[in-house]
Amino acid sequence: MVGPTASLSILSRADGSASLKCPTTGYNVLGSVNAPIELPARRDALKPEEATVEVFVKPGNTTAGVGERYVEGILRSVLQKVILGRERGFPRRGVVITLAIIGGDAVERGDSYLNILPTLLQVSLLALLSAAVPMSMTFSTALLGVTKSGDIICNPSAAEAKAASSLHVLAFSSKGHLLLDESQGRFEFEQWESVRERAFSICRGMATPGADGDVTMGDGGDEARINGFICETVEDHLHRDYSWKIDSA
Amino acid sequence: MAAPEAKVAPSIPPSLSLPPSQFARLQPHAYLLAHLSPPPASNQPSIRANGRAPSQFRVTSANAGSLTHTNGSAVVRIGDTAAVCGVRAELLHTEDIASWSVSQASGSHKRRRLADLGKKSAEEDEEDEEDDEEDRAHIEDLNLLVPNLSLSTGCAPGFIPGAPPSALAQSLSHQILSLLHSTRLVRADDLRIWYQPPNLGPEEPERHNEDEQMDMDAEHSPTSESKPREIKAFWVLYIDVMIISLAGNPFDAAWAAVLAALRDTKLPKAWWDVDNETILCSDNISDARKLCLRGLPVASSFGVFEADAAAGWRPNVIPDAEEQKAQDQKRKKGSQQSWILADPDGYEEGLSQERACIVVDKEQGGKGKTVIMKMEKHGGWTVDTEELRQLVDISARRWDEMKRMLDQC
Amino acid sequence: MSAPLILLPGDEVPSDHLPSNNSNPLKLGPGLRLLSQPSSKPDATSHVLTATQAGLVTTDAKRNTVSILSFPNRRYIPTVNDLVIAQIHHSSIDYFHCMVTPHTAHALLGQLSFEGATKKTRPMLKQGELVYARVLSVGVGAGAEVELTCVNPATGKSEPGGLGPLVGGMVFEVSTGMAARLIRASSSSAEQGDVIDGLAVLSELGKKLESLGGFEIAVGRNGKVWVDCSNAGDSAIKATIAIGRCLQTTDDKRLNPVDQKKLVTRILREMKLA
Repeated sequence: MVGPTASLSILSRADGSASLKCPTTGYNVLGSVNAPIELPARRDALKPEEATVEVFVKPGNTTAGVGERYVEGILRSVLQKVILGRERGFPRRGVVITLAIIGGDAVERGDSYLNILPTLLQVSLLALLSAAVPMSMTFSTALLGVTKSGDIICNPSAAEAKAASSLHVLAFSSKGHLLLDESQGRFEFEQWESVRERAFSICRGMATPGADGDVTMGDGGDEARINGFICETVEDHLHRDYSWKIDSA
Repeated sequence: MAAPEAKVAPSIPPSLSLPPSQFARLQPHAYLLAHLSPPPASNQPSIRANGRAPSQFRVTSANAGSLTHTNGSAVVRIGDTAAVCGVRAELLHTEDIASWSVSQASGSHKRRRLADLGKKSAEEDEEDEEDDEEDRAHIEDLNLLVPNLSLSTGCAPGFIPGAPPSALAQSLSHQILSLLHSTRLVRADDLRIWYQPPNLGPEEPERHNEDEQMDMDAEHSPTSESKPREIKAFWVLYIDVMIISLAGNPFDAAWAAVLAALRDTKLPKAWWDVDNETILCSDNISDARKLCLRGLPVASSFGVFEADAAAGWRPNVIPDAEEQKAQDQKRKKGSQQSWILADPDGYEEGLSQERACIVVDKEQGGKGKTVIMKMEKHGGWTVDTEELRQLVDISARRWDEMKRMLDQC
Repeated sequence: MSAPLILLPGDEVPSDHLPSNNSNPLKLGPGLRLLSQPSSKPDATSHVLTATQAGLVTTDAKRNTVSILSFPNRRYIPTVNDLVIAQIHHSSIDYFHCMVTPHTAHALLGQLSFEGATKKTRPMLKQGELVYARVLSVGVGAGAEVELTCVNPATGKSEPGGLGPLVGGMVFEVSTGMAARLIRASSSSAEQGDVIDGLAVLSELGKKLESLGGFEIAVGRNGKVWVDCSNAGDSAIKATIAIGRCLQTTDDKRLNPVDQKKLVTRILREMKLA
């Protein structure tokens, strides 16, 4: 399985930007972050104590509709929790995140947004990192589907997602908290627990004690550990940016 | 007149106590916290400012069929949040669907299967997987369910006339639509209008006279082998929800209203008239039939109230999830750090960032096991596996309550 | 120095990466914050340094500071005491209205905030002219005005030297990260050797162009570099362009000192200056 590919700081005008291409789902998302910026004429957004986080999702082939409004709300509530909006220079200003879906299947009206939600979340994180927005922690996400026969599949393709009996998107913070869970379809709680365990090992790539006491390692080389992937992307880029510094040291 | 009063006034110190309503406005967080964690000496139970226990829902009432112009309607009140839902059915001719002839002609076996399945689902309730796929394709690809939610002017102080649909209304519309799709509540077969073409083959010319009675008769269609039935039209259900009063938790109310209205919806008997080449509907109410819904998914929403209002300000190390669990265990006896409030009202919603929403159904009309249809949480990290397990139990109890209420209305 | 350490937001700075100089209090640069670890005993709280941005941990043992070098800011945000190159947009009775960054409100530069300026002797700057100025204040809140000055209000002198109108020369745009490096490189004196912050380009250019009469340079934190070679006579324009090209290429291609020297040689040869 080919892992996702990401690039950082690709837009020259935005404060931070990132793009991420996920080969299994086929989605390609470009994200840009501008922060901190003034939000004039937005009196509702001028919070005296912290920054206002705004998220815009633009589908590639149509105008944004009700589905985008919904997913923007989810993204905002997750990102608001990790962004330190009270650091110097941020209160009363805005953190504006724009995500453009530039490749992959279009999300039709009424379709579930779960397929693309993990990509959107990861692009926002990478773009926030590249804009040097202060954050209390990072996070990683996983998309899992449960088939009719009860098997858990990681990163299902669009067709697999349609055929799955339930779909789950989970996000874990770098400290192991469950930041987000979006599940839909028919499932039972016990199924969800095993999905959570699997998602945790994919995201964090560490050993998680199984229910029967034995230790299952993170799913190995096959499924890229998302947390490690984000680290590597950032490190690669920083190494290139500060090659003068690192070389001279 | 004023002079003597002015002399008297300084002698009485201004009262330092505030009426509860003012305290609630000035210090909303402290007000709710004081209710939830009363001093141990006072011997008072921990209850919310609105008098409910943390896992208690507001009083819910429903009334179906109150709008006479619709095919189905319902009003649902959850506390001070009220939602009206009207379902209106309109016909969509298959000849008006641009991709219809293409998609149907792509395989004749598909058409035959369709005809077979039509027969089958009429008599038995169990559906096989291929039927599922057909069902999903018709409802989702042809957009046979069109929900729309509006927050009416004045339903809460922030809603002014003439404003475009707010982000809240738009995302609620999407949530309703995607839940309708993912629960597959409405059966596509209820929305199809079939036509059995008469077999005009040379060996059975006498059938020609009988075609009027043959139209909708699925039970005895001996000719279906030679000439399959075809779908002439679909019913499109326009499901309009209006929140007439918003006091928190609009999604539960809106979904309950949609559910009650769909349960109330009756579609008139419709058939294809060959001579006029159009669809005719019977105006006889006794011919109309109700929708046969799949299950009864009930939504329950929760908000998380954190005891520490200034947690975001404190430069404290955020403990790892594992450490936190251990800390919480230790703290169990002492002061509680967060409360999960079921069915938050507007006041509580303003004080909680983390939200959770669980949609559950029970198999076999409540006797079977609990199935989760949708589960979501975001905005914080208080709710994890243990909390979600409790919330599912609470939601299952809420299901019983809602079922009783919906059966009565 | 140990291997480069890259942190992500929320990661703790390991204590062995902190400078071990204990005489001065440790100073925190951008991208770090000090968090306290709450414990059951109120007097036994320990403290932890965590990163808030992704970046490279850098320490300065001499000044006892630790900071995070994050992704260079694309956009310049004015900070008090930064040196910037501003362009006059228009003037009013008391102020020159200057552009520091594109698409932002104009910064104000007092008509009298120049060295030795009085009502009669103040410089008459016209639209489009350049000044090298210091950020005096940035104001608070949305829409606050940035104020610049070309004089130290305490002494009445243009401190540090060179503040004031920039006459002649040409302005080149570089990234804000490069501008910060150039300022550090040009402010630290030659005794530290040729390579400062991985920049050899300036000293190399200085050596090669000495025969032409040298050049003047002013670096603004807002990503602008002003270069003037008016001593070079006929080849003044060529030399100016060559310097600009060297700086911009070093910035874009993130060249290391060796490549920078090669670049300078190549460009000067191409432009027939050396």
